[in-house]
Amino acid sequence: MLSRVASVGRFALAVLSIAAVLAVGCAHADEEVSIEPLAPASGRVDPGLGPGTRALSSGPGYKASPSWSPGGGRIAFTVDGYVVDKPTGSGDRRRWTTRDFIAEDTEWESDDALMILGAALPSGTEEMSSSLYRARAGEDSLELERVERDVSAIAPAREGLIFALGSGTRESGLALTRGAGKIHRLYSRPIDGHVTSLSLSPDGDEAVLAVRPPGDPEISGLHTFDLRKGKGREITRLDGNQEILGTPQWTEQGIYFVAGERSKPVDSGGSEPLYEIFRVPEEGGAPETAPGVGEDFVAASIRVSPDGERLAVIGRLNPKSPTNLYVLDPLIEDFTAVTTNEDMEIKTGPDDLAWSPGGKSVAVIARGTPSTEPEVRADPADRLLRDFYNLYEIPVGGSEEPQR
Amino acid sequence: MRDVVLWLSGAALAFLVTAGAFLLLANLATAPSEKSLNPDGAPGGSGHTLDLQLDRERLASLEPLPDQSLDLAVENEGDEQLTHVNVTLIVSSENTALSDPRYYRQTVEKLPVGGTASVRFEFDLLAPEQPVAIPPAANPEPPREILELRATTPDGNSTVRTVILPP
Repeated sequence: MLSRVASVGRFALAVLSIAAVLAVGCAHADEEVSIEPLAPASGRVDPGLGPGTRALSSGPGYKASPSWSPGGGRIAFTVDGYVVDKPTGSGDRRRWTTRDFIAEDTEWESDDALMILGAALPSGTEEMSSSLYRARAGEDSLELERVERDVSAIAPAREGLIFALGSGTRESGLALTRGAGKIHRLYSRPIDGHVTSLSLSPDGDEAVLAVRPPGDPEISGLHTFDLRKGKGREITRLDGNQEILGTPQWTEQGIYFVAGERSKPVDSGGSEPLYEIFRVPEEGGAPETAPGVGEDFVAASIRVSPDGERLAVIGRLNPKSPTNLYVLDPLIEDFTAVTTNEDMEIKTGPDDLAWSPGGKSVAVIARGTPSTEPEVRADPADRLLRDFYNLYEIPVGGSEEPQR
Repeated sequence: MRDVVLWLSGAALAFLVTAGAFLLLANLATAPSEKSLNPDGAPGGSGHTLDLQLDRERLASLEPLPDQSLDLAVENEGDEQLTHVNVTLIVSSENTALSDPRYYRQTVEKLPVGGTASVRFEFDLLAPEQPVAIPPAANPEPPREILELRATTPDGNSTVRTVILPP
């Protein structure tokens, strides 16, 4: 009898304690909070770039150089020369630079600091020379802290930034920043020529540089630079008036870059495309046309994924095709169209695409074809998407974990 | 073994009791606590009381010069007479770095149900001078001019038309 009473007691105790846990767990911690209305740019839209595409900006302004924050929660970009960033979800823009400053490129140093390559507009006949600046979020003024003068190119590096120094044509230098914009290492051995762009190898120990050799009008040299040993070398040089376009990209399967004859018109009707994607082994040698990419493909810009295994490519299947986003898997030589858009103009600047830190999506800049007649819309200008160049996040699949 | 069975059945019973209690509580709340949100950010109303009509031919004839004029029709599509309808025109450039927008305002004193009022704006469409020479890489295209017209009733209903003029 006693044991029966004890069992019933235990049963009642179990029911009461579990109900208490459930009730406490389900209760609201606070009063209801009001939900901010989502900006139209924060929802999923199909602006002609395929399902799942999301607008990351809206309104007028010539946008360029998107860059995701390390945590992926914000995206920075330039608008008509000044720098802004905004949450990748809903939320307002923050402005980082003033109207009298022209930014060329921007990269995140951390989730609350940006490194900006640009210059204050010269007064009178003064020549414009780019410098590297650092800006912190949350500061009231738009003041920038100058890190170094005469900087020609920047790229994100492990725990900081790598940049090329030198405004002359004869030689350049490299330096690394780490933490609070401080120069962590300045490489003493110079690089012959002018470095116009650079990026890191997937392991972050080496850099690949596009270089205009001394006395050469074209950016025809491709160098690698070992950041541990502080030594670099030229791995290939393009012949004739071929020029490297944009930033070379170091993948697990070699170094890829876009090159072509700058002087040749785009729609010349010739069988040879204007710009192609080339691959060269890390050890160097003659570049070959990237395997897997069609022979008529006209490339505009490429960007390696955070894991170094895929390349996002903006270009056209042939000179008369619309511009689209593709992903190349160099290992299996698979080239897949991510967008099959016919009526959006995807921007083709060398820095106008960026992978999200997790490698799941790519940010591109696009607009609808501008009309030659006045267009009337039923929304305020700052909410319009297709009428102006705006940023879009396009899902491409891949891992979810940030790589940095 | 018996204890385990007791604990399991106790857990299931507790879950059902708690779930039922929360369902009951949820059904007791008949009115939603949140107001529906207006995506236009207007203080209230649906924004469909007014209509703004523009003449496309007149829009096409606008030139990037001072002393331009534009007529538009404001129509009351609601079921109440409106008074003091504010009509604003914001002239800005597609190049957001160039200059601050220019604002113009007119007021329609009375607008009967189904009635239409004509509003004329005289404004400056001269492209603002660049304060300094901006390198073409920052924006290589000639910017378009943007006219944003908004009619707003005193209770906050508004209708917007944005006109993008080719360069």
